[in-house]
Amino acid sequence: MFTRARRPLPETLERLVVAVAVTEPRNRALHPRSRLMRRLGNALAVLPAYQTIPAHADAPPAFTEVGLRYSRYSEDSLGADKWIFGSRGRYDIDITQFWIEGPIGANWSVALDIQNDYQTGASPWFVGTQQNGEPGVIMSGASIEDNRLEVGVTTRYFWADGNAGFTASHSDEDDYAATALAMDASWNTDDDSRTWSASLSSSEDTLTPTQGAIPVFVEREELDTQSAYFGVSQILSRTAITKVGLSYTYSEGYLSDPYKLLDARPETHERVALSLGYRQFFIAPDASLQIDYRYYGDSWGTDSHTVELGWAQNLSSHLITPYLRYYSQRQADFYTVIADTNARYYADDYRLSSFGALTIGARWAVALGDQWTLQLEAERYETDASWSLYSGAEAPALVNFWRGTVSLTWRYD
Amino acid sequence: MMGGPACIVIDTAKRPFDNYEPLLDALLAELTCLETRYSRFRTDSLISTINRRAGSGIQTEIDTEMSTLLNFAGELWAASDGLFDITSGVLRKAWDFQRGGNASPTQLAECLPKVGWDLVEYKNDAIYLPLQGMQIDLGGIVKEYAADCVAASIREAGITSALIELAGDVVVIGGQGNGKPWQIGIRDPDSSGSLLTVSLQDAAVATSGNYARTIKHNGRALSHFLNPRTGWPVNGPITVSVLDQRCLTAGAIATVACLKTDSHAQAWLEEAGLPWLMMKSCGTLIDTLTNPVSQRESLTSLQTLQLSH
Repeated sequence: MFTRARRPLPETLERLVVAVAVTEPRNRALHPRSRLMRRLGNALAVLPAYQTIPAHADAPPAFTEVGLRYSRYSEDSLGADKWIFGSRGRYDIDITQFWIEGPIGANWSVALDIQNDYQTGASPWFVGTQQNGEPGVIMSGASIEDNRLEVGVTTRYFWADGNAGFTASHSDEDDYAATALAMDASWNTDDDSRTWSASLSSSEDTLTPTQGAIPVFVEREELDTQSAYFGVSQILSRTAITKVGLSYTYSEGYLSDPYKLLDARPETHERVALSLGYRQFFIAPDASLQIDYRYYGDSWGTDSHTVELGWAQNLSSHLITPYLRYYSQRQADFYTVIADTNARYYADDYRLSSFGALTIGARWAVALGDQWTLQLEAERYETDASWSLYSGAEAPALVNFWRGTVSLTWRYD
Repeated sequence: MMGGPACIVIDTAKRPFDNYEPLLDALLAELTCLETRYSRFRTDSLISTINRRAGSGIQTEIDTEMSTLLNFAGELWAASDGLFDITSGVLRKAWDFQRGGNASPTQLAECLPKVGWDLVEYKNDAIYLPLQGMQIDLGGIVKEYAADCVAASIREAGITSALIELAGDVVVIGGQGNGKPWQIGIRDPDSSGSLLTVSLQDAAVATSGNYARTIKHNGRALSHFLNPRTGWPVNGPITVSVLDQRCLTAGAIATVACLKTDSHAQAWLEEAGLPWLMMKSCGTLIDTLTNPVSQRESLTSLQTLQLSH
């Protein structure tokens, strides 16, 4: 039995977290102060006259929120026609999150976030050639088991026109440790129709890969990452809002995957992402259309486009949001289906290949009384090289997966 | 408009605006439309149609706006234990407000069974009053709602500094053009002056009160606010002013406070958690507005307040 280094989650899963952050901003200022006022305010939310009420002065949340979320991410087994050796079963990840956030005095809030990821299964070790001449995957074996625990604390200060937060977090597992600091701020224009936001973050990671069933040629490596984000959201009308964001990330250090046999990546990685979001509320059906687009490009030659369409339908105390997402990626400059070890940089990681992906899913949220909210989400992700807007041979290890989430939130004054 | 004078002030010191005529035309049309829909004094209004059909077996179809206002009235009815009841207007028949006389017991006995929001047959797209003579009256919330609608339209026109006064209730958009908050006086029911002046930015102040206590009973002056359960006037606060982001919710909280006795009114206002001012039935003034700490905690968008008298 051996553990493996922390690897980035599949690109789509990382992006999904970003999408959730964009579509569900925490609009603290509009939360009414008492249960009575929340109840009365909720009854009015559908009227256009109350959809342009400005955010007013930013204020800490008037309530304490406690939440628990569990997600299960489960990859399909590798197809027999793509497999050469090792386990055909792939990753399952159990993600458990707990958070608590509450006001401290008149101008501050404090939040604690704890996340535990438990991963089991196998991952591609390298790509070789099958007897029929087609590329096939040599898997790492079925006994990978790893647990990652991350703890983060955020303090936030609120003033009349905005708020600023400072976050410190640390994540630890057997073979990987990461410490990150982040600052963010947002401020509103005079008429409160526009909100500017910016953030800076920095992390220092240390890899100490575990020697196990497959040989690992790295003892200890480090990786530093800095990131900046700037965004603006603009209320366009009583029923429409848009958001634009631009981010830049720079990493320097060990960026290869120590648990892949044939993986030598550049020591630096620059990434830019442009995100656009639009929400249009329709009064008669009591629903909103959600459109998101994201462009991503990096110094490794990869770029991608993501388009997501969602329809958030209110039904009494329920909110049901089916969504459809399309993703298309261009392969990295140094990616080949079978790694070319004569090149300076090389990789056969399917996540760096050209592919397209479709995700279909739905979220269902229901308010249980005044204080509890239950949310369920399920999605299916399927990928295929031919769905990409870009050319490139198909990586045999392309993955399909299911993802399900259940969360329960409790708020009290 | 809406039972009183309407006044709109647009401050262009910070952001110029010269497209007044189309805006004023649109606002006037908006107010007229609301009055046409919700006034019980107009025989052609939607409210009058619903009331005319009481007990007839014919339900009236309603749209999202109407159903939302009815939902809001229903929430307020439940939250106030039935004190705020849009079906209570029928009780006015039993009282002679004009001449200050007492109620006719016979008429009260006739009217009381026709009062009760829980009697109304109401779905999101239709409403029906099951008893002949039943009526609904949105007068307790429509004026405040109209002020919010006007404010929303002015905001949508790109104006960032304005004041709207509609029959005594005030909504302000942003601060004044010079960057300072708007100074709003809360009317003194006993004089033409104000009880105090509040400094507001992006907020509304709504006042509900029993200025004219014309009914005398056993030597006591009674208010025109009637308890829907007994049909009798309430011996409650003389005036209550509430501050909130929305004029509608501020007015609703103030109105319910006036339907309660002094001590219950104070408990209600504290439950709402909004800044408030109340002149008790004995004439004593109590409030959270002149206490900067409690005011700050309850509504951070409001600025510090000064007594003006």
